Amino acid sequence: MTALRLLTGVVGLAALGWGIRLLLRLDLGDLLNAGLWMAGAVLAHDALVAPAVVLIGLAAARFVPTWARPAVAAVGVVVGTMTLALLPTLGRFGAKVDDPFLLNRAYGAWWLALTSTAVVVGLLVALRSRRASGADGP
Amino acid sequence: MRVPDESDVRSHLRSPEVAARVGLWLGICFAVAFLTGLYSHALQDPPSWFVPLRRPVWSYRVSQGLHYLAGTACVPLLLVKLYAVYPKLFARPPWLDRAALLRHGLERASIALLVASSLFQVATGLANSTQWYPWAFSFRSTHYAVAWVAIGSLLVHVAVKLPTIRAALRADPAASGPGPRAEGGLSRRALIRTTYLATGLVVVSVAGSAVPWLRRVSVFENHFVPSGGIPINKTARRAGVTVLSTDPGWRLEVVHGQRTASLSREDLRALPRQVARLPIACVEGWSASGEWDGVRVRDLLALVGAPRGSVVTVTSLQPDGPFRTSTLLPAESDDPLTLVALGLDGDDLSIDHGFPCRLIAPGRPGVLQTKWLARIEVES
Repeated sequence: MTALRLLTGVVGLAALGWGIRLLLRLDLGDLLNAGLWMAGAVLAHDALVAPAVVLIGLAAARFVPTWARPAVAAVGVVVGTMTLALLPTLGRFGAKVDDPFLLNRAYGAWWLALTSTAVVVGLLVALRSRRASGADGP
Repeated sequence: MRVPDESDVRSHLRSPEVAARVGLWLGICFAVAFLTGLYSHALQDPPSWFVPLRRPVWSYRVSQGLHYLAGTACVPLLLVKLYAVYPKLFARPPWLDRAALLRHGLERASIALLVASSLFQVATGLANSTQWYPWAFSFRSTHYAVAWVAIGSLLVHVAVKLPTIRAALRADPAASGPGPRAEGGLSRRALIRTTYLATGLVVVSVAGSAVPWLRRVSVFENHFVPSGGIPINKTARRAGVTVLSTDPGWRLEVVHGQRTASLSREDLRALPRQVARLPIACVEGWSASGEWDGVRVRDLLALVGAPRGSVVTVTSLQPDGPFRTSTLLPAESDDPLTLVALGLDGDDLSIDHGFPCRLIAPGRPGVLQTKWLARIEVES
């Protein structure tokens, strides 16, 4: 295992070094702008998305009945991650007036359909597990 | 106010068992995206030793479709992976032990590179697939450079964490670990399965633009042609060729040294024809197949006495833009399926598909299938 670790590490460092070399060969303006976007991406996750998830978790622990919590969490994971993945599509930021084939579907309606399906399925699963466990809930 | 530490965000879900399992799939998706990305980059910027794959004719369609879908799959996987390790962000550095502090600092730096480059790659790739460019840097060269940083820092991370990863993969996720389990919350196994479900759903919901039989369920695909034809990325108007391409005086110039052949559309039509079913596969991930009707490039080159297997530059009527010209490598220019297409699916080529004629060849990225041809020139 030590040899494997060492090899992985060395190959990784080489690839990393090559990547940094490629970065340094970019236009200075491109490099600075890309650096800004990278730092922004980390900030957006670490200081916005992740704390928001912590807060949502705290709120759920307080307001959501125990039997419904797993379902709420699962629906949150599915809807939350899918929404972030589909953000450029849902926002249609890249749409062009003279391109009728780009970003041309009813994404908002489908998103509503997806979200409501997830909520209904989550609710059914939660109710079934509540009945199965015979709990009365809080 | 006190600085938060690891215990403030602790949960039984933020555990190595979750991180290792989700991370394994994330690593696989990164590897697929990296390798297919390298291939696509080499096609667009070929090193001297590079030989493009021309058969099967759909090779690039599969490779770029995989690139796009692996990248999309990374979103749920990456978010849950980061969720599982988030408390580490608040770990207190071992201030008193210098050697430990140095190790801690190095690991933090490598993780910072890994997280920054991963988020950057996934976000810029997804935005690019919808033709959204909110940044000022050039997409391809930057996405390519940062890909090396991401894969390199990922390998370093795997090397550092290998014992933890192996232990976590062997451990039962249901076993208790650090952190309290919120009363009634999701189990680790359920979180892992939900993550896989979200990943599968998001991939299927966009895959139709690359996988035709999924078109009915892929309600979030970015390029959709209701009639099932081939999408268009750059219209004639946006390329600024509306007047030039419909000019009756248009001629295709085929040039080899001093010899030039000047061919009208009628001249081209009179040459031996080749009909071939070839896909157009865009770097943005979509692809579609069409039946192209045209003239072999190698027959055109023979008209001006060019030796077989020449390197050829094709030039568009477009006045500018990075894809005004493209290069055919020797094997490509000699390929019997490398065509100057005059028709598509039984009709004349439409102006947005490249009228009067366009290049279409097996296994090339869409941006290199030059439209509105003006000139085909043999490089000396």
